[in-house]
Amino acid sequence: MTARMKLGAFLWATGHHIAAWRHPKAHVNAGIDIDHYIQLARTAEAAKFDMIFCEDAAGLREANVGIASQTSRSIGFEPISLLSALAVQTSHIGLVSTASTSYNEPYGLARTFLSLDHLSGGRAGWNLVTSASPIEAANFGSTGLKPHADRYERAREFAEVVTRLWQGKAPGHDGQSFSVHDPLDLPRSPQGAPVMVQAGASDVGRDLAARTADVVFTAAQTFEEAKAFYDDLKGRMAAYGREPDDIKIMPGVSPVVAETEAEAREKHEELQALIPDDVGVALLSSYLSISDLGRYPIDGPLPELPESEGMKSRQALVVEQSRRDGLSIRQLARHFAGARGHWRIVGTAAQVADELQARFEGGAADGFNVMPSYLPGELDAFATLVVPELQRRGLFRRDYEGRTLRDHLGLKRPA
Amino acid sequence: MHLAISLDIAAATGEAVLDFSRISKFVRQAEAAGVDMVAISDTADGLSSSPFEATTLLAALATVTNRIGLVATASTIAHQPYNLARRFASLDIISHGRAGWNAMMAQSPREAANFSRPEGFSDTDFRRRSEEYIGIVQGLWQGWDADALLFDKSGGRFHAPEKMHLLDHKGEFFSVRGPLNVARSPQDTPVLVLSGLSEADFDIAVRTADVILLESGSVESAKARFDDLKRRATAAGRDPDAVKVLTNISLTAEDKPAATADRLETQFRARSCDGFNIELPAQRSAIDDFADRILPELGQRGLVRESYRGTTLRSHLGLAGGGDQ
Repeated sequence: MTARMKLGAFLWATGHHIAAWRHPKAHVNAGIDIDHYIQLARTAEAAKFDMIFCEDAAGLREANVGIASQTSRSIGFEPISLLSALAVQTSHIGLVSTASTSYNEPYGLARTFLSLDHLSGGRAGWNLVTSASPIEAANFGSTGLKPHADRYERAREFAEVVTRLWQGKAPGHDGQSFSVHDPLDLPRSPQGAPVMVQAGASDVGRDLAARTADVVFTAAQTFEEAKAFYDDLKGRMAAYGREPDDIKIMPGVSPVVAETEAEAREKHEELQALIPDDVGVALLSSYLSISDLGRYPIDGPLPELPESEGMKSRQALVVEQSRRDGLSIRQLARHFAGARGHWRIVGTAAQVADELQARFEGGAADGFNVMPSYLPGELDAFATLVVPELQRRGLFRRDYEGRTLRDHLGLKRPA
Repeated sequence: MHLAISLDIAAATGEAVLDFSRISKFVRQAEAAGVDMVAISDTADGLSSSPFEATTLLAALATVTNRIGLVATASTIAHQPYNLARRFASLDIISHGRAGWNAMMAQSPREAANFSRPEGFSDTDFRRRSEEYIGIVQGLWQGWDADALLFDKSGGRFHAPEKMHLLDHKGEFFSVRGPLNVARSPQDTPVLVLSGLSEADFDIAVRTADVILLESGSVESAKARFDDLKRRATAAGRDPDAVKVLTNISLTAEDKPAATADRLETQFRARSCDGFNIELPAQRSAIDDFADRILPELGQRGLVRESYRGTTLRSHLGLAGGGDQ
């Protein structure tokens, strides 16, 4: 049998588009309505997605309250609670949540995910991240945000302890950041161990992934970027005694799909027009690592900027695009606010399938983490239009072959 | 009288593990009998036979029940206060206002050893830390006004900025800015249950708790303690009825239903408590026995309500707050 692509349904409240909640058909109560999520999970399961994927942050996502109040992202479910509820309302789909190594303890986190794994019959996964937001840091003491290298050293130690705990061993660990004495007081996972997902793209993040991850979630705009990341990460695995197929690389993709290309474009434009200018400019400012973009005329060009000490590559990307396409601040803001830097495809099911197929068969992805623009509409559209097209082409399963998330992903059962 | 059931899923007995369907069947039986709440604890001091942790189990139970209150034990050692406040705020929304947090006021040495606190805390430090911790959690739960969410699509206003409040807590043990990134509870705040109290914790308890669980003793000593707690609550500026005092009763499988009901009825009529917390071991026989024989007996004597008046745990307990008061 030829390899099939893996698909995650990345569910984020009202949808991934920054203005999704304002769409007339978006479910605006998403952050307080468990039935909304049960319905989404059942849609994704009926479409045979490998997993549901949830984001997380331990704090607001936007420091400016005026801006935050124009987005839907200040409130939502804590994802482990959410997935525990979904575990008994679904039967096959994998349930993956982000949780930070910066503000948790390995024993508690390993125990909680293992419990989710038992509730779901072996369908749980943990997306390991470190936290880089000062807004989150302020909720966990006054010591401030830790430097990148320290965060990853803590993450490495954290992953090591969790792995031992999930193997049923007593860590007897007395390390730099943690001390953990006993084995977990829960039985072993139905799938050997919950699936370990990672999202870091930095050099040290890639090494940690090559060593411990089962799935890697990443952002890539172009085929070349995606291919370079894929080859680099798979190339690092031999050093840790692992086969390339032991990790599934699943870049994010945010499709806007409809029966006709014109309809898809119209739907996309409709969403773009809903982005409030100050929200778009605030997001653009954060990508450019400057604070006062709002004082320039919004329909004028991007001003000359001092070189950034923040996200250098992101700033260069934005500046380059503004010069090349002659875009105003407003146009640029809408462009970057739409999919938060993720790959966006606007078109028919065949067009979306063509693009996914090219990256999958071209060795740039093992699958995709699908980020619906607004919910539930765009998940429904992907499930009813794109999934059958992928199935017709033999690129995606028609039914689940096993019961656990490791079964779906074709991952080895850990020793 | 108020009736809670505590189920310690972690008590390893060598019996068959309680799986989710067995636990949910029992909780639905308790719901059918009108029990106020089921409290899940999972604090084994050694290996457990249960596959579940209490808060995750609570979330799952919330989707298969409609009325009964659901309380999970979670320690102040195992979680950061911001994370714990989020977890319970979420559970409360998932359960439509039926969640409660049972905070253990006693330290577990095993927990300290596994949560990077090998030395633990002195009793007085642990007490001060617990009070600070509870204050943070309750403060975070009040970070959003009840009418903060506007959902105004055309006007582009998702929430009212002035109805979201920072906590800005800077204390001896914690510093937490807030606000919580979970919406306000359907019952204003999840219910706070305190257990494992020593006498020195009583003043913290009457200031902060909605429900206090106390070990049983003689009727006379329980009555004296009950009156003392209600006096302390009044002195702390609270309505004494805003703090429900439940007496823990341990049942073993061989208890006769009539004897159990007699015992509860006598203690309740002596006004030694607001109700009871029945502690059940994770044994199928004890659970089946309780559901099949004792619950009906309590119902026949009119000791347990026939049906729920409201939908939130606060309304079951007769506490202020919540949407359906």
